Amino acid sequence: MMKTPGTHPAVSFTGVVRTFGAVRAVDGVDLRIGRGGTVALLGRNGAGKSTAIALLLGLLEPDSGTVGLFGAPPERAVREGLVGAMLQDARAVPRVTVGELVAFVAGRYPDPLPVDRALRSAGIAELAGRRVDRISGGQAQRVRFAVALAGNPALLVLDEPTAALDVEARRAFWEALRADARDGRTVLFSTHYLEEADAYADRILVLDRGRIVADGTGEELRRAAGGGLVGVDLAGRTASRLELLPGVRSVEVRGDRARLRTDDPDATVVALAGLGAIRNLEVAPASLDDAFLALTARGREAA
Amino acid sequence: MGAYLRLEVRRTLRDPGFVIGGIAMPVLMYLLFTHLGGGQDAGWRTASMVGMAAYGAVGSALGTGGGVAEDRTVGWLRQLRVTPMPARQVVAGRALTGSVTVLPAITAVLAAGGLADGVRLALWQWVLTALCLWLGSIPFTLLGLGNGYRLTAQTTGVANMVCNLGLAVLGGLWFPVVLFPPWLRTLSAYMPTCRFAAIGSAVTEGHLPPIGAILVLTAWLLVFGAYAVLSHRRGAGAV
Repeated sequence: MMKTPGTHPAVSFTGVVRTFGAVRAVDGVDLRIGRGGTVALLGRNGAGKSTAIALLLGLLEPDSGTVGLFGAPPERAVREGLVGAMLQDARAVPRVTVGELVAFVAGRYPDPLPVDRALRSAGIAELAGRRVDRISGGQAQRVRFAVALAGNPALLVLDEPTAALDVEARRAFWEALRADARDGRTVLFSTHYLEEADAYADRILVLDRGRIVADGTGEELRRAAGGGLVGVDLAGRTASRLELLPGVRSVEVRGDRARLRTDDPDATVVALAGLGAIRNLEVAPASLDDAFLALTARGREAA
Repeated sequence: MGAYLRLEVRRTLRDPGFVIGGIAMPVLMYLLFTHLGGGQDAGWRTASMVGMAAYGAVGSALGTGGGVAEDRTVGWLRQLRVTPMPARQVVAGRALTGSVTVLPAITAVLAAGGLADGVRLALWQWVLTALCLWLGSIPFTLLGLGNGYRLTAQTTGVANMVCNLGLAVLGGLWFPVVLFPPWLRTLSAYMPTCRFAAIGSAVTEGHLPPIGAILVLTAWLLVFGAYAVLSHRRGAGAV
């Protein structure tokens, strides 16, 4: 049997809704993720990331809509060994060694990685003989990564893989993931760290209140969020008139300096020049942070 | 499945609670019961041996559920659900784990009876008694699993204890069935514990296991098996 039969996308959601009581955790998601590459599912806590991932893995059933992995229902793709997952909030499995655990999981898959390779990829080769419930939190996180990787899956799903890790451990984790980069493996990870999504994903899906509110590269999201930021010194002027300038969406004043968020930086700068207001001019593209805030704020107003 | 069985048996044997509660306790209780007071005849020693081996087996069998509840709490069962191993095999593998981990209790108590206490049985009786105790404990393993898949780690412990005591009393393991009112006596005859004990004592008295007892235990096997599978479907994903 081929590892990834057919030409179906790795992941497809069609009109997927999942509610918990009155909360629409996933509220009409349509999406397709092709094969290969790394995709980030970005959203604040409670945006619906974990629910979306549980639906994707077949751990939850959608109320309506369909989820497919490689053109099959999630349960079947999982059964065929196409999926490896690092789940959120999993604790150490008691009374088992790292090597035993990874070897056991690898053995469930039709075409696994050699155990020592999975351990090395996760940077825990020297821990093989240690008990999983007697190592540090950061090491346990790496064990869970090795478990996800062990089956050499076509789709690797990581739910908040770096939550609760310190900066150094986070960096090491992403290095390990990069080093693994198998040809054709699709990696989907969820995070609420913008920098991680921007640095490690080819494509970012922004999830807010159960809906995909943006989809693209970090660069595309920045552009979609609108123009950029224009900064000038006020030099005694009042900032209120600046809000009326072309393109300006909002004005933020800090001390004597105004920062104008604008859809059209060129027009804004021309108008500022017309007012003779150019003092210490600075024009910058919107940061991904700005883009994220703008995108999720829009969703909030609409709701 | 074999790999899952090996993994879980190994994990169980590394649990000090299991080694003490599942092996040491039944042996100690057996030796205590047969040596207190003195003047016990061979019949009592044999009956007590079978009773304590059964008690240890039922306790260990139900105890499997405690391990399952722990596995749910730490997310291990959820992790298994995203591996290619089918849910059926996870339940079946755990049931087999339970049936393997009752063996130390049975073996230890029978060994204490035969080696330390001078219980004398024919070879076929030893083998058949051990075999019957072993197979007869499977329904109780499934009951423990049903509790473990459904309840939290704490409530599983309580539920297993209630099941253990309730079934023991209703099955006439504590008070002879003849003391029961007729309706309770009828009910008792359908309790798995009653039939489990009946099989053991029949063999040590030189008879083959009664067919009725085997039928009743098989029925309970199916009931508890269905309970375990339903609990697994409901509980494993909800953590």
